[in-house]
Amino acid sequence: MKYLVYLFLLIVLIFSCRKDRVGYKATPYVLEIPSHFPDMIIPSDNPMTVEGVELGRFLFYEKKLSGDNTMSCASCHMPNNSFSDPNQYSTGIDGIQGKRQSMALINMGWEDFFFWDGRKTTLEAQIIDPIIDPIEMHETWKNVVSKLNQDMNYRNRFFRAFGEEGIDSLKAAKAIAQFIRTMISGQSKYDVMYKFENGMSLTATEQAIFQTIDPEEWAGYDLFKSLNGADCFHCHNGPLMRVKKFSNNGLLPNSFNDLGRAAVTNNPEDNYKFKVPTLRNIALTAPYMHDGRFATLDEVIEHYSSGIHMSPTIDPLIEFGSQGGVQLDAQEKYLLKKFLLTLTDQNFITNPNFKDPH
Amino acid sequence: MLKNITALLSLLILVAACKKKDPDPQPADSYLKITVQPTYSNLGQQNIQLDTVYTTSEGYKVKFTDIKFYLTKLKNGSVNLLESAYFDYRETGLLLAKVKGDYMQFPNLQGYIGVDSLLNHSDPSEFPNDSPLNISNAGSMHWGWNTGYIFINLEGKVDTIPNDGIANFDHNFSFHIGTDSYRRDFDFTNINWQTASANEKVFSLKLDLWTFLHNPSNPIDLKTQFLTHTGSGQQALTEKVTTNFKQSLISY
Repeated sequence: MKYLVYLFLLIVLIFSCRKDRVGYKATPYVLEIPSHFPDMIIPSDNPMTVEGVELGRFLFYEKKLSGDNTMSCASCHMPNNSFSDPNQYSTGIDGIQGKRQSMALINMGWEDFFFWDGRKTTLEAQIIDPIIDPIEMHETWKNVVSKLNQDMNYRNRFFRAFGEEGIDSLKAAKAIAQFIRTMISGQSKYDVMYKFENGMSLTATEQAIFQTIDPEEWAGYDLFKSLNGADCFHCHNGPLMRVKKFSNNGLLPNSFNDLGRAAVTNNPEDNYKFKVPTLRNIALTAPYMHDGRFATLDEVIEHYSSGIHMSPTIDPLIEFGSQGGVQLDAQEKYLLKKFLLTLTDQNFITNPNFKDPH
Repeated sequence: MLKNITALLSLLILVAACKKKDPDPQPADSYLKITVQPTYSNLGQQNIQLDTVYTTSEGYKVKFTDIKFYLTKLKNGSVNLLESAYFDYRETGLLLAKVKGDYMQFPNLQGYIGVDSLLNHSDPSEFPNDSPLNISNAGSMHWGWNTGYIFINLEGKVDTIPNDGIANFDHNFSFHIGTDSYRRDFDFTNINWQTASANEKVFSLKLDLWTFLHNPSNPIDLKTQFLTHTGSGQQALTEKVTTNFKQSLISY
């Protein structure tokens, strides 16, 4: 019997020696998806949490992510420009310019392809790249982790976001991705027009906005989606104001002869095709196109009106390409621009939750 | 002492032996798969590849760049199979739909080429995430306003002067068919469900684009008949595309 007691005590001792796990259960984050938007599919390995989003926001504005501690993600994705870069090409920490325009970060949670050529297929994977790109932030993730580890606040934030100790690049990318997924724009005049057009009920606030939409804006919308007008809707429609595709939109190849999607797929049928971007907040995201060649919306409209360059891979939906474009007159260009301005969502760029928390 | 240890071991074995028995394995679900093979039948049932050059009866060189369409309300009489199915040759290859079901219940299959009127005018964000009609999956196949979905989308490029030594393919064609009045019925009878595996039967369709372009009573000349988006003034070509598409989608 005595031995039995010893055996029991031994078992109790073994179990009591197990290392204590100090854990932290993060708080689920509830996204506010506009009623007319589709669901956002969140990766199962990166659920949204309040702590994760907060950490991501800190990291988004964190200059320690760059080699000389002078640049953050926000350096090329500026809030006042709807998280894009007003410069034609962004300049990295070594003074080297890139060859493409920084894309605006709007409703990225609904995207399946990232970068102008779509070479990354998850937001988390996309976030890894600019930090180590020698012409951008030119840092190693090992150094970034080391720098963040020296900051107790970050050690605590990572712990709270992921429920365990330790900082690494994947956790950092996941946190930034969580933050970017919260950056939802769906409160422009266009949203009210879209809901009205689709027979969806308007809230009292939206009813008030509806009353402010003037006839010229409606006329511009009609032109936007008219086959014999501006014919924009084939590539820019729906609540996200874009379709998921890569398109050659009739630009002359630039001096870099940037092949776009073809550089990823090695398929010549993809030559000069680039990701179709959203038109949301388009008035705030100049300059335009993958290489920022157009400084103003007027130049963009002129391109589609009379500047189309035909080539073997041009999008078949550029239907009036053979005559140079859709041939808008001055009044039509004016109305189209009026409509494009309805895509501006001031609440998006002034949202305090998206501001620098440092 | 030995007796005590033996008793303890016996107890442990007894506890372990009391583990709940795994439930009996359930029979595997049966699946029905519907595929569509685009073909160009004048070449002896040749399967079509996108971005590849074919020749029309007029001698034009033609490349198809997109082949997409919706079928909805797939059923046999009162037995429903599927609310909606979406074919996108570039993105998903031959697969039109794969769904749980018993092939014995579907010797025939009826439904719409296009989107049922009620579905066509619903909020495209409200469909389940895995529905082909959800705006995230429909993408450019939804027009973005109350006209609803594009039912049939055929796009490509043509070289209408093929013997000039310049393969420039600078002539686009774009057939976008939609709106309720251009929805058409289909009715496949005496379906021969092929066994793909123990739990999967396949119904193979083909979409013959030679027949589509060269329907004897309704030919489409891509040089002059290259654009319809179901707009006013485009009814003649819209009707022709709709009719020819229906006659080109047949059992394989």
